[in-house]
Amino acid sequence: MKGRYQDENLKWIPALIALVILLPFMLKGMTFSYKYYLYILNTIGIYIILTVGLDILSGYTGLISLGHAGFLAIGAYTSAILVDQVGLPFGLSLIISPLIAGLFGFVIGFPALRISGMYLGLTTMGFGFIIRRLIIALREWTQGSGGLVVSSPELFGFTIKGDWANYFLVWTFAVLTIVASRRMMKSKIGRAFMAIRDSEQAAEASGINLAQYKMMSFFISGVFAGLAGVLMAHTNHFISTDHFDNMLSIYFIIMVLVGGIGSIYGAVLGTIFIVFLENLIVPVIEELLHAMFQVEAGDIESLIFGLIMFLFIIFQPTGLYGMWLKVRIYWKLFPFNPKQRFT
Amino acid sequence: MTSLFTDISQEVVSGIALGSIYALIALGFILIYKATEVVNFAQGELMMVGAYVNFFLIQAFTGSLGVPTIWTFIFGLIGSMIFAVIFGWFLDMIINRPMRDEPVFSIIMATISIGIVLRALVGLIAGPMSLVPKSPFGGAYIELGGIIISVLDLFIIGSAVVLVSVFYYFFNRTRWGIAMQATSEDPIAAQLMGVPVTKVYSLVWIFAAIVAAVSGVLLAPRAAILDTNMGFLGLKAFPAAVLGGFGSIPGAIIGGVILGVIETISMGTLSFHFSWVKEINDIIVWIVLIAVLMIKPTGIMGTEEIKKV
Repeated sequence: MKGRYQDENLKWIPALIALVILLPFMLKGMTFSYKYYLYILNTIGIYIILTVGLDILSGYTGLISLGHAGFLAIGAYTSAILVDQVGLPFGLSLIISPLIAGLFGFVIGFPALRISGMYLGLTTMGFGFIIRRLIIALREWTQGSGGLVVSSPELFGFTIKGDWANYFLVWTFAVLTIVASRRMMKSKIGRAFMAIRDSEQAAEASGINLAQYKMMSFFISGVFAGLAGVLMAHTNHFISTDHFDNMLSIYFIIMVLVGGIGSIYGAVLGTIFIVFLENLIVPVIEELLHAMFQVEAGDIESLIFGLIMFLFIIFQPTGLYGMWLKVRIYWKLFPFNPKQRFT
Repeated sequence: MTSLFTDISQEVVSGIALGSIYALIALGFILIYKATEVVNFAQGELMMVGAYVNFFLIQAFTGSLGVPTIWTFIFGLIGSMIFAVIFGWFLDMIINRPMRDEPVFSIIMATISIGIVLRALVGLIAGPMSLVPKSPFGGAYIELGGIIISVLDLFIIGSAVVLVSVFYYFFNRTRWGIAMQATSEDPIAAQLMGVPVTKVYSLVWIFAAIVAAVSGVLLAPRAAILDTNMGFLGLKAFPAAVLGGFGSIPGAIIGGVILGVIETISMGTLSFHFSWVKEINDIIVWIVLIAVLMIKPTGIMGTEEIKKV
C-alpha cells in the first residue's frame, strides 16, 4: 500500500479540519449577525457535497449533467418520507437515501452508455423535469407542490437543532466528501474516469470497462447529490419542488465551471465563491441599482451569474483553481518567469 | 363515437400548428448544429427576444392595447427579423468565434449562460409583468366538417412550410448552402477549397436567429401570453429535433409535428379519459426524448455517425 498515493499531498487535511472547526467561533467573535453567516456556510457545505459529486461526473468522467437538482430532490424527499412517515432513524436514512439517489443515477447511466455530449445533457435535463413532476404526482407522500415540513435529525441520541449543530453536521460530511473524493480520484477509479474523459476509445483499448465505469461515475455522483439532499432537507426543515428548480442544476454547473472543472478544490472554491456572491454581493448590487435607476426588481442575480459564467468560459476556462495554480507557479519560479506562460 | 373522433382530429389539427412552431425552433438548432456542431441552448431565448421586439414594434404603431392589423403584424415580423440579423451576427461574434476549438461541454455552457443573460436582460428592460399579444386575425376560424381551425393556426402552419422549404432548397441547391454542407463535413478541407468558413458560420447564426424570431412572433399570439418564461418553451424543441434525427431538416418537421400532436392529445382526450395522464402531460415530451434516445438515438431521419479515433 505504501507509495500508492505518493503524489498526494496530505498536509492540507489537518489544516482544513482546523479551519472548519475554528471558523464559526471566529465568526462569532467578529460579527454580531454570525447566525446569518452560519446559515450561508451551511448552504455552502451542502452544495459542496453536491458539486464535488458533479465534478466527478462532469469534470473527471466528462459526462454532462444538466439535471443534478433531480438527484438532490430524490435524496431530500426520500429522507423526509423515510424519517417522518416510515419512522426510520435518521442515521439509517442517511445511508439509505443517498443509495436510492445513486440507484437513480444508475438508471440515468443506462442511456449514457450509448449517447454522449449534448444528448446526455438533454437526457439529464429531462430527468430533472421528470423528477420534479413525479414529486408533484406522488402527492400522497410528498404533499405535491405544497412542500413538506421535515423534522430535525436525531443522531446518537442527540437532536441536532439550530445553526450551530447543523454547521457541524453538514461540514463533517463536507470534509469527508472532499477528502474521500480526492483520494478516490487519485486511485484506480479516478484514473479510469480521466482516461474515459480524455478518449473513450483509448480507455477501452487499455482495458477499462466503459459501461462499468460510466455507471459507477453516475452512481457516485448520485450518492453525493443524495447525501446533500438529505442534509438539505433536515437542516432547512422545509422542502418543496421550488427548491429543486432546473435553474438550480445550471447554478451547480456554474459553480463547478467557475471554480475550475476537473479538480475537487475547484468545485469547492467555485461553490464558496458563487454562494457568497449570491448572498452577500448580489443584494448590495441590487440595492445600488435600485437607488441609481429606480428599476423594478428584475432578475439581476441571474444576469450576474450568467455573465460571470460566460466570462469565465471565454477568458479563464480553468476557473479559479487554475488561476491559483498559475499564481503559485509564478511565485515558485519568481525571478525566472517566462512571460508567455502567463498570458 | 363520432364526438371522440372529432375531438381527436381537432387536437391533431391544433397539435400540428403547435408542432410547426416546435419544428421552426428545432430548425434553428439544426442549422447551427449542421454547420458548426454547436448546440445552441439559447435558441428559446432568441425566440423570446424576437417575440418581444415584434410586440413593441406593434405597440409603437397601434397604441398600448391595440389589436394589430395584418399589415402591422407583418411589419413587426419584418422588424424583428431585421433585429434578429444583427443579433445573430453578434452572437456569432461573442460565442462562436472565440470558442471554435473548445470542447462541446464549454460551448453548451456558453450558450446556456447567454440564455440566462438574455432572459434576465429582457426581464429588466420589459419589466416583470407578462404582456398579452393579440392575434392579427382576431378570433377568425374556418370550420371543416365539425373541426374548427383558427386562421392563426393556418398561418403558422403555412409559414412553417414556407420557411422549411426555403431552407431545404437553400441547403441543397444554392452555392452558399452547399458551402455550408461542406463546412459541416470538414471545416479545414472546406477552407482549403476556398469556402469562406468564418462567413458561413456568421450566416448560419444569422439564419438561426431569424428562424427563432419568426417562431417567437408566431407563438406569442397563439399562447396569448408573453413573458420571459417563453424561453423555456424553446427547450421543448430539443426532443422534437432528437425525435426527427438531429441534423436533418425534414426530420425536424416530422419530429416537431409528432411531438406537437402527442402533446395536445395527451393534454386533451387522454387526460380526460385517463386521470394519470394528467400528471405527466407537461413532461411527456421529455419522456418521449428519453425513450427515443434509449431505443434509437439517431431518431427517425438521422444517420449513424461514425466517430474516427
